[in-house]
Amino acid sequence: MLVSVLNGFSIGFLLFILAVGLSLVFGMMDVLNLAHGALFLVGAYLGAAFSGAGWGGFLAALGLAAVAGLVAGGILSLMTEPLRRRSHLDQALLTLGVAFVVAELLYTVFSDDPLSVLAPPGLDGSVSVLGAVYPTYRLALIGVGSVLAVVVYVVVERTRVGALVRATVADREMVSALGVDNRLVKAAVFAVGSLLATTAGVLGGPIYGARPGLDAYVLILALVVVVIGGLGSVRGALLGALIIGQVDTLGRVLLQGVEGAASFILFASLAVVLVLRPQGLFGGPVGMSR
Amino acid sequence: MTEHPAITRRRLLGLFGAAAALPVLSACGSSVGGASGGATTGGGGTVKVGLVVPQSGVYAALGTDMTRGWELWLEQNGGRFGDRTVETVIADEGETPQTGVPAVQKVLQSDAVDVVVGLVNSATALGVGDLLTESKKLLIVTNAGAADVTGKARTPYIWRTSFTNAQVSSAMGTYLAQSGLQGGVYAIAPDYVAGTEVIAGFTAAFVAGGGTVVGEAKPAFGKTTDYQPFLTAIQQSGAKATFCFFSGAEAITFVRQYTEFGLATTIPLFGSGFLTEGSVLPQQAETALGVQTTLHYSDQLDNPANAAFVEAYTAKHGESPSCFSVQSFDAANVLNRALGTATALDGDSLATALGGVGTIDDSPRGPWTFDGQSPRQNMYLRKVEDASGTLVNAVLADLGPQSQSA
Repeated sequence: MLVSVLNGFSIGFLLFILAVGLSLVFGMMDVLNLAHGALFLVGAYLGAAFSGAGWGGFLAALGLAAVAGLVAGGILSLMTEPLRRRSHLDQALLTLGVAFVVAELLYTVFSDDPLSVLAPPGLDGSVSVLGAVYPTYRLALIGVGSVLAVVVYVVVERTRVGALVRATVADREMVSALGVDNRLVKAAVFAVGSLLATTAGVLGGPIYGARPGLDAYVLILALVVVVIGGLGSVRGALLGALIIGQVDTLGRVLLQGVEGAASFILFASLAVVLVLRPQGLFGGPVGMSR
Repeated sequence: MTEHPAITRRRLLGLFGAAAALPVLSACGSSVGGASGGATTGGGGTVKVGLVVPQSGVYAALGTDMTRGWELWLEQNGGRFGDRTVETVIADEGETPQTGVPAVQKVLQSDAVDVVVGLVNSATALGVGDLLTESKKLLIVTNAGAADVTGKARTPYIWRTSFTNAQVSSAMGTYLAQSGLQGGVYAIAPDYVAGTEVIAGFTAAFVAGGGTVVGEAKPAFGKTTDYQPFLTAIQQSGAKATFCFFSGAEAITFVRQYTEFGLATTIPLFGSGFLTEGSVLPQQAETALGVQTTLHYSDQLDNPANAAFVEAYTAKHGESPSCFSVQSFDAANVLNRALGTATALDGDSLATALGGVGTIDDSPRGPWTFDGQSPRQNMYLRKVEDASGTLVNAVLADLGPQSQSA
């Protein structure tokens, strides 16, 4: 059971890295970016391409993924700009189209064989945690995830740049009226959010591997996280991701053999949050501790 | 035809090949293939074979091994079956029946081959039954392991030199039941046809031998990459051993995670031989050490035919052969034997002749016979060991002959 809880944490932190970008972009600019999962997949395939090449390969994959994420975020921001006054459906269609194109390109390059990604040397073994054996890499992922969570939290909540982002989330017109070009803010948040998504893909490689269809799987998890946590909230994304990580892992362990039970639990928890607190745990004016 | 420069060159090449050395011909055959439609009708001194194996997609590595096994046999035997020269046309099976069935149709119709050899995918093997019945041509399946291929969907024209999924796993079931294992076994395999057949074969033999299966899981095929929930379930089931079947990337991931989550030291892992066969083993690396599997072949088998086979294969390709190489090597072997007595090259004559080939006594896998239209062959218990830096499937025991229906 301890192993499942730990695993819930590693998957939770991975989900946080993925979902925080989606949450900020959606919450801030009202852009529903359905290509977010495809960005994750780009990172995962980069990790797979460099798999087995030691730390050099792993860091190269991370670096390339970061650049790819920044560029992709910038492009997506430009592409959605003309649609800013249109409905969510138009943005969803555009970004969904982008997601399909990216997935198809990846399929053309890597075919549809599921690829397995090795953890970098030193992290590919296991350690004993309170008597349970657990893979070192996943423990390290918990560490990296918590550090990233703190960094993102501090940047968004405690710095001037973060204040600007939060202000834009809260009232875009007002920020605009104060003389800030909110298209730039949007592009920057988009780029950083996409960077986090591709990075999550590389980091998640040793757990999820890389395969067609993984993009849709993680996108749905990220959307659930965003809805549960509340739009545009870093704390919400973190808490939502940790909850979903635990729910998904424990659900699959406890209800083994029941067809579809794991996804039922996942969406049932989403439904409960939507009924009790439609704005998400941190979406509203009042935070909810848990 | 002759005014087309490309074809002229190809035909010339073909002529040169025929004149110079016979083994070269088989290599040229693949390039001549499409252009020479209907040039050879199987009369006189040649037999035209369509080798349909994956050259692209997930199973491309298997296709390479099979092509090498086929070509090695021809090379060692002067490129002839009896007194007939063998002409090979290679076609790409791809991954699915959507590519495999048209490939078989192509070699039958536009290349007018006498015999078809190959097929990795069971769905493809099941899908070409009508094509072969209509054209009355013989197919020798060199991998596809679904029971139905030579069972329920049997036609006299489809024979097999590989295995059936349940044949391989029931050998492990019987062995584990007799091994004095105290406690139950947890069985896990992906939720597709091969996985289901492997588990069914294992469970039937294991339970018949007095064993208990304490749990069973079927992770989604091709979609599961994090096996932690399943591994935790295995630990909680109280099983004393795990039996599994995975192949390709899933075999790598499962075996690695099985060790990473600490199960390997407490709950020994057993499996169908494909878990550690061929290209997956180097990637599983030391996490595969100690995994025990059953299969009809290992390159470590100690018999003169295998020693010669491994030596020749390794000298040529710089890596050890796999069971896939042996399956197509033996396909050439049985065709040679059948052509010694066959009166003609049509499917009926060849099928009758195959029925009378008796024991194949010079196969690298050890002696085997056709039981129905699929091999009755010895199964070997293998264990992954470190042989001076290289991981190998060392042979622990010969579990004796096993027929296809077992």
